[in-house]
Amino acid sequence: MRTISTEVHERMMRSSDTPTTRELARRLLSHEEQQTSLEFADARAVSRVCDKLRRPLTTMVGAAGFRSLLMRALTLAKQESQELGSFQVKPDGSLEMSHSETGESDIVLVSHLVGLMDTFIGESLTLRLLNDAWPGLPDCELKFERDESK
Amino acid sequence: MSEQIRVKIKQLPTGVPGLDEILGGGLPEFSFNIIAGAPGCGKTTLAHQFIFANATVERPALYFTVMGEPALKMLRYQQQFTFFDAAKLNNAVRFVNLSQDLIDGGLQGVLSEISKQVEAANPSIVVVDSFRTVLRSEMHEGKEMAVQTFVQQLAMLLTSWEATTFLIGEYTDSEVRDNPVFTVADGLFWLFQQVDRNSVVRKMQIMKLRGQASVPGLHTFRITEAGLQAFSRTLGLLGQRKTFTKVRRLSTGITALDEMMGGGVPEGDSLLIAGSSGTGKSLIATQFLAAGLRVGEPGIAAVFEERPNEYAARASEFGLDLQTPIADGTLEVIYLRPLDLSVDEMMQEILDAVKRNGAKRLVIDSLAGFEMALAPAFRADFRESLYRMIFALTAIGITILSTLEMPELFTELSFSSYSISFLTDDIIRMRYVEVEGQLCQIIMVVKMRRGAHSREIRQYQITPDGIVIGERFRNYVDLITGIPKPLASLQSEEPSLGRKI
Repeated sequence: MRTISTEVHERMMRSSDTPTTRELARRLLSHEEQQTSLEFADARAVSRVCDKLRRPLTTMVGAAGFRSLLMRALTLAKQESQELGSFQVKPDGSLEMSHSETGESDIVLVSHLVGLMDTFIGESLTLRLLNDAWPGLPDCELKFERDESK
Repeated sequence: MSEQIRVKIKQLPTGVPGLDEILGGGLPEFSFNIIAGAPGCGKTTLAHQFIFANATVERPALYFTVMGEPALKMLRYQQQFTFFDAAKLNNAVRFVNLSQDLIDGGLQGVLSEISKQVEAANPSIVVVDSFRTVLRSEMHEGKEMAVQTFVQQLAMLLTSWEATTFLIGEYTDSEVRDNPVFTVADGLFWLFQQVDRNSVVRKMQIMKLRGQASVPGLHTFRITEAGLQAFSRTLGLLGQRKTFTKVRRLSTGITALDEMMGGGVPEGDSLLIAGSSGTGKSLIATQFLAAGLRVGEPGIAAVFEERPNEYAARASEFGLDLQTPIADGTLEVIYLRPLDLSVDEMMQEILDAVKRNGAKRLVIDSLAGFEMALAPAFRADFRESLYRMIFALTAIGITILSTLEMPELFTELSFSSYSISFLTDDIIRMRYVEVEGQLCQIIMVVKMRRGAHSREIRQYQITPDGIVIGERFRNYVDLITGIPKPLASLQSEEPSLGRKI
């Protein structure tokens, strides 16, 4: 028997996390992992991805606006991945975490963040921000899958 | 200063249909404007329409959001409008949030960030939404001068950087007076919603606009998926009236009626057909349109009491084919029954239809239905509005036939319950009369402003071929009271009357 919490959970997942956003998140994280610049040597890929999105989004929707988005993404992602239990969003909108290994949970978090961007600011603007943040990333112009039940 | 060296102020299109006319041609470039009004009256949408209509990558628009509607929500909702061009986002149209700057640095923090962004982007348009929240943060005792200084500095900065500016704020009517912010502004757009019974009507007023003459007064506007559409209260009243060197007569499609009118309806006239229910007013109107279509004159029917398909079906019962001209566009049937319509919207619909099909004839069936479709607030001004509409439409050369339902009184004959007979050039009255225990119908031409007409009161019948007008009622008097007397009975009374005298 399906419980109410399962249904709610599935509905919540549908709202922002899709196979397309997962694939996009995987590629963004993979791209950041390959960056060996000293500037980001200490930061984990997921932190760098979120930080790269934080800058333009903070300009556009304010620090509080970005922080709200990231906190929502983290809440949704935590329901799927126990590994994100130690993650926190700091007041300035940056991510705080205790361990440093990149895993599937990072993909889930970024996927939700990108999905929420799509929900609120739309596909065009989301892809434009992604392209601006990762100009070297090929094929960033991915189309989002549309869930008509939304 | 001579004419040659006077500063020329360029006018920018607002992107809002109808608003450029209200402003006197467009928005003055580099002007410093305020859009004020209560929440939900369309301030943000107006600003968005303006920026999407004008911003370019070379001269972008900077849209500063502060602590009003969260930017995240605003972007989500504004994308629903058709004018919202996602391709312009983040290049031609850039959104910048100033909330943190306000929290951290107050007014000077906001001014500093705006200066920085403006210098970096070289924008042609700057919007601050909501400006009220910026000022409110420091609007307390002893800070009035700081606020005034901030507004002055902001106006100076943005004007000298050649930016056209909109400050958006939630203000009430009483706050507009004695407010230093409004003194600095070049333009003041006041938007509000007027509630009357269950109806809400949106209105705007250009309370101030430096450098050019805007149309004074309150103008209605509507918000649809395409954004704002404004309707000037002088819509159609400006410009030249079309004059005809020779007055052409248009056939009503009823030969006997044409004869009674001295050859038909003078082109460009407004004709009123008044009569009680069932007298055939709508049928004459339909025959008038059909007669025009037969000679290649496109038409428009504004109907309020039946739907376009019903209208065409009823015409076909009298052998009149309206389906074909509707299909090929030579006849447009406008059906509006929103209950919060404004006369200006109706007029705009008709003007747009005229542009599309080059109509020469317009039927409004009926004025009572038209009045019912109006928002209560506009019904009070119906007579004035009708005057504007008839004037505007006849000015472009259209011949108008309006129908008007009249209560049937059997003691007197009135021509119009709206006292609008002075608005029309020609009046035809139809009514029932009781003759020898039968209900008969009579028709008469009461008024023809531009020529002689028949004075006869004639009987008519509604037949499957339309209105058929018969002979003059010769042997009765008091026909117009509805209860005529046979002439013979009066003549027989005369001797007895004479004896009494």
